[in-house]
Amino acid sequence: MRKLSIFYYVFFFRGNEREEKGKVMKEVKKKEKLETSIGDSRSALGALTVYLITGLFLVVGFWVVGNKYSVDLISDPSLTLRLLWSIEFPIVVIIYSLFRRNPEECSYFRAVGRSIIGLISGALINALGAVSLSAPIGMQSLPKTIHWSFLMSVFTFVPATAVFGASWTDWHRVFASLKPTGNIEYMIVIPAYGAIIGGWFGAWPMPLDWERPWQTMSDDVADGYWLTGSELGHSLT
Amino acid sequence: MTTAMTCTRLTLFTVAGIFIQIIGLSIFVFGFFPVKPTLSGVSGSESYRDPFCDPSSNLNESELHHPEKLRLLYQELSGISSKYDRLILMVIDGLPAEFVLGKDGQPPWKVWKESMPYTQSLLANGDAIGYHAKAAPPTVTMPRLKAMVSGAIGGFLDVAFNFNTQALLDDNLLGQFFRIGWKMVMLGDETWLKLFPGLFMRHDGVSSFFVKDTVQVDRNVSRHLPNELNSDDWNLLILHYLGLDHVGHTGGRNSPLMAGKLKEMDDIVRTMHLKAMMDRSHDQGQTLLIVVSDHGMTENGNHGGSSYEETDSLMLFIGLSSNISDYTAATNNVAFQVDLAPTLALLFGVPIPKNNVGVLVPGTLNSLRDYEQLRALELNSWQLLRLMQAQMPSSLFEGFSCNCFVDGTCEGLSLDISECSGDKEKQLICLFRNAAVLHGIWKSKKLTESSSAMEDFSRALNAYNTFLKTASEWLASKTTEKPVLLLGVGVSAMLLSCFVYVTLFLSLFKEFYHEPKDRVCNLSYRLKLEEVFIFALLLILVISMGSSSMVEEEHYIWHFMVSTLHLLLLFKTAKSFNFSKGMNYKIGSIFSLLICGRLLRGWHQGGVNWTYLPDISKWLEQAGSGYIKWIQLISNFLVIFLGLFPLFRTGSKKKSVRILAFGFSTCGFLVLLHAGIYQDDMFEVSNEYGATVTVKVIYLLLSTCAIGAAVVLPWFMLNKEKSFLAEAGDCLYLIGSEYILCWCLLQLLLQQPINSGAILLLLIQILAISCLSSNGLQVNEWVEIAALYYMGMTGHFALGNSNTLATIDVAGAFIGISSHSTILSGILMFMITYASPLLFLLCLVMYIGAKLRNHSHSTISTHRETSLGQILKLKLGFPCLVPLCINSILLTAYTVVLLLMRNHLFVWSVFSPKYLYVCATTLCTYIGVCIVAITVTYTFFVTTFLRSNRTTRHNIS
Repeated sequence: MRKLSIFYYVFFFRGNEREEKGKVMKEVKKKEKLETSIGDSRSALGALTVYLITGLFLVVGFWVVGNKYSVDLISDPSLTLRLLWSIEFPIVVIIYSLFRRNPEECSYFRAVGRSIIGLISGALINALGAVSLSAPIGMQSLPKTIHWSFLMSVFTFVPATAVFGASWTDWHRVFASLKPTGNIEYMIVIPAYGAIIGGWFGAWPMPLDWERPWQTMSDDVADGYWLTGSELGHSLT
Repeated sequence: MTTAMTCTRLTLFTVAGIFIQIIGLSIFVFGFFPVKPTLSGVSGSESYRDPFCDPSSNLNESELHHPEKLRLLYQELSGISSKYDRLILMVIDGLPAEFVLGKDGQPPWKVWKESMPYTQSLLANGDAIGYHAKAAPPTVTMPRLKAMVSGAIGGFLDVAFNFNTQALLDDNLLGQFFRIGWKMVMLGDETWLKLFPGLFMRHDGVSSFFVKDTVQVDRNVSRHLPNELNSDDWNLLILHYLGLDHVGHTGGRNSPLMAGKLKEMDDIVRTMHLKAMMDRSHDQGQTLLIVVSDHGMTENGNHGGSSYEETDSLMLFIGLSSNISDYTAATNNVAFQVDLAPTLALLFGVPIPKNNVGVLVPGTLNSLRDYEQLRALELNSWQLLRLMQAQMPSSLFEGFSCNCFVDGTCEGLSLDISECSGDKEKQLICLFRNAAVLHGIWKSKKLTESSSAMEDFSRALNAYNTFLKTASEWLASKTTEKPVLLLGVGVSAMLLSCFVYVTLFLSLFKEFYHEPKDRVCNLSYRLKLEEVFIFALLLILVISMGSSSMVEEEHYIWHFMVSTLHLLLLFKTAKSFNFSKGMNYKIGSIFSLLICGRLLRGWHQGGVNWTYLPDISKWLEQAGSGYIKWIQLISNFLVIFLGLFPLFRTGSKKKSVRILAFGFSTCGFLVLLHAGIYQDDMFEVSNEYGATVTVKVIYLLLSTCAIGAAVVLPWFMLNKEKSFLAEAGDCLYLIGSEYILCWCLLQLLLQQPINSGAILLLLIQILAISCLSSNGLQVNEWVEIAALYYMGMTGHFALGNSNTLATIDVAGAFIGISSHSTILSGILMFMITYASPLLFLLCLVMYIGAKLRNHSHSTISTHRETSLGQILKLKLGFPCLVPLCINSILLTAYTVVLLLMRNHLFVWSVFSPKYLYVCATTLCTYIGVCIVAITVTYTFFVTTFLRSNRTTRHNIS
């Protein structure tokens, strides 16, 4: 069963990569058209750079956690998660605020401000999703769940709020109808869905090998695995 | 019309599918769970004679009803002097032999050894001899007790009836002892009392219901001990201590309580050894003390399976006066648990039970004289040979005749010793012949005082032992081997029915979603996300059944998948969300689905390995019974309110509805009354007269309301303004909601008080989903029905059920039953266990009604020209087929899994109980679908009849 879930990981992320490549190819074809229609659109190369930077900082986050604090997801999930999201969040905000809609009406700092609101509301929604998928809500595991949802929010909601603000039509078009236009919107949607689906697979109930400490079922799987999955999801997309 | 399936054909195929499945399932069950071959009757004096002699020869046993005469007769016939006249059988539930005897020649761990100083000293002095007695799986108390006293290995189905212990009717030791007039006393686990009702002169049974109690169960036994040891009126004293098993269940082998418990057991052994055995003067005869355990336990204290830790049970003889001086010789012995029966029978001079497959424990006979030892072995061999005769063709026994070995007159059999080879059955007979011949030789030589007697004796002894060992193994394997043909037929029948269902479903699916028939049915139909997910869920479930821990923790996967399904629905709704009105209902309903689902998930920490984690029910129990009372009260009121709500929402101010509502309110009040007055103790169901009468009144009222309403309502729902479908829809909606309310009230009465909150949450989920579907969820009908089925299964685990038989609520099965009735309490137990799946299946009636009403509101009477059969097919096809289809796929898949896992370590403890649950789920699906189909068909027929009546009357006037 564990092998199976690894298989899922591989399958899913391979699929996602392929999909992304396909989209990048399409985008290259559409490039000229897009650049004329949306002024601040960036090229596919730019999108890749953004991914690389965010991915790099995720790696930096893990390095900091591992070497400076010498904890990891299994020994102290809540501290690790807190460090990770607080390192990742500024980067995501700084980068994505550059791509905000209507830059002439909305200043850079306003974009930063609204992404902070987005962080909190996104964390709330992610926490609701996690809890409904049986994340523990006892007093001991509450910090873990909270920090996990902040991290997920950084991947899913923060870029979107930085770019779109509170524009319902944009949100609806991009997230619900899955009809993103332009590279920026792809840049938002793919990691967000990658994180969500990765998280979902990570939360897969795996009541196996419970003799081993790193696999204590219902407490950490809901957090630890989920998070690993979502991060893998994110970093691979 | 050739491709389209008519209603009649659909019904016929479905019913045929059900029948094929039932037949296949029963064939498989009888093939897989062996029913042991048994000889009927009880061993009597004929067991002391050669099996080839005419059984109805000389003695007339009817004269020997006097116990004392019978005892003397047995003693005379057996030719073995019995020096013991009293037996103390101390059963320590769940004690692994490793704790006392160590493992692999090593002494036990220091903690264990130091906790039992007296027993260890007995072993070291040679006063005791211990055996690792291998118990046969399933290692659960009742089958093991049966094995010990009857020597027979039972089938798995014994475990299934573990919660309903019935008197042991097969030949057994206790019955034999009773027949020769022994006085017996039993203290401890009341399983003994259920197995042997009326056999004990004095008894004090304790229930093993409270697994948390590790002190009181044992104190209850020990408090009688001083009196019993002082009194001289018993021959057999049985002590069954449950505490150690309870310690194991709560804390595992290394529980901190374990050492104290072992010390307590050791003290009891010391008391008994000093008082009962040493103090008695020699002229009174001797007492034999036997300490046995029924099974062992795993590292974390569970049992039921077939691992070494679980099957390693103890058999310790104290006071055998066999000359053993060596500690290793006293501890490093191996036997089988069933060997206890023949050993005790021969030691105490009673016939060996008829179906015994055990053999004499070697080393217990050392104190006997030579001829007695051989006689004992001969008696054991004769008994096994009788059992073999029942299972072998009689042609193999040709040439044997009465006493021919003694007289040397066996026809066609040379009296030479030969090497035994060939197939197993011939080999067995050959071994027996060798032993018998050698015994004969020894006897004849003994008369002539030959010098080589000693050598002949050991040869005969070895020959007997070889025969006994081989025969015992052969007989034991006979009870567990599986007939391949039956299994094959069963599985293929199930596959066939599964295929039938899937085909039916697909053909209906094609017809339903490709309405214009001139268009060619192609497979270009694109599955939506949630439809893919329904299939994926089925696949995931099938795959996860292959892993034992996934089976144990099945509730996780159900909850995870159903929550994901809800989230997908939320996503779908959000997709079409715009800030107009009416949508808020949908979002709200989905959120209430999610919240209720999460609460239900936390209600019971189900499964097997994580039950100690906190959950809502534990939390409430710790908070005090006052809170539970409040929850019970609130959920009772809310259930009545929510259940009556759809009744009044249909807007009909008819008298019949009001009468119904009144009936239900009365029921609800009575249920509340019962909960308030009689259910004071959490677990104890009071047996007062008043409570029973109240419950019976509730049963009567509820069944009258449910059946009466379903029968009467269609006749009174006439409404001239509405179309045919709307009318039938109204009626079905009412009947459905009334079914649900009825079922919920029944469950509030039957379930443990803590579960009343869960029942309320399930009801809210049902109402939420019916609200969703009537507001247009844009999800196909079959997806909704499949979702309902899945939610029912999730609720099943939320009510505290799991895939072990231990979680079945036995206490609730006796509510309102004044006399013991297996069938009635079985039905109640089924109702309690399958509360949630049946609730969701019953809700299909309401669902169909709501659909019909909705449908007829939007498009008024489009189906006017279609026949009744067509309507029935369209409306009833999916609600019946989808649950049947899902269930048959799961059943067939699990059957295959069980076949593949037949040699798995956990086949008895995990896979087989799960299979019983799967079978019961199948039954539950049949019942639910039947009720739905009958109700809907009946309503449609009545409505059509009334309509046609009205039109004819209209035409005439």
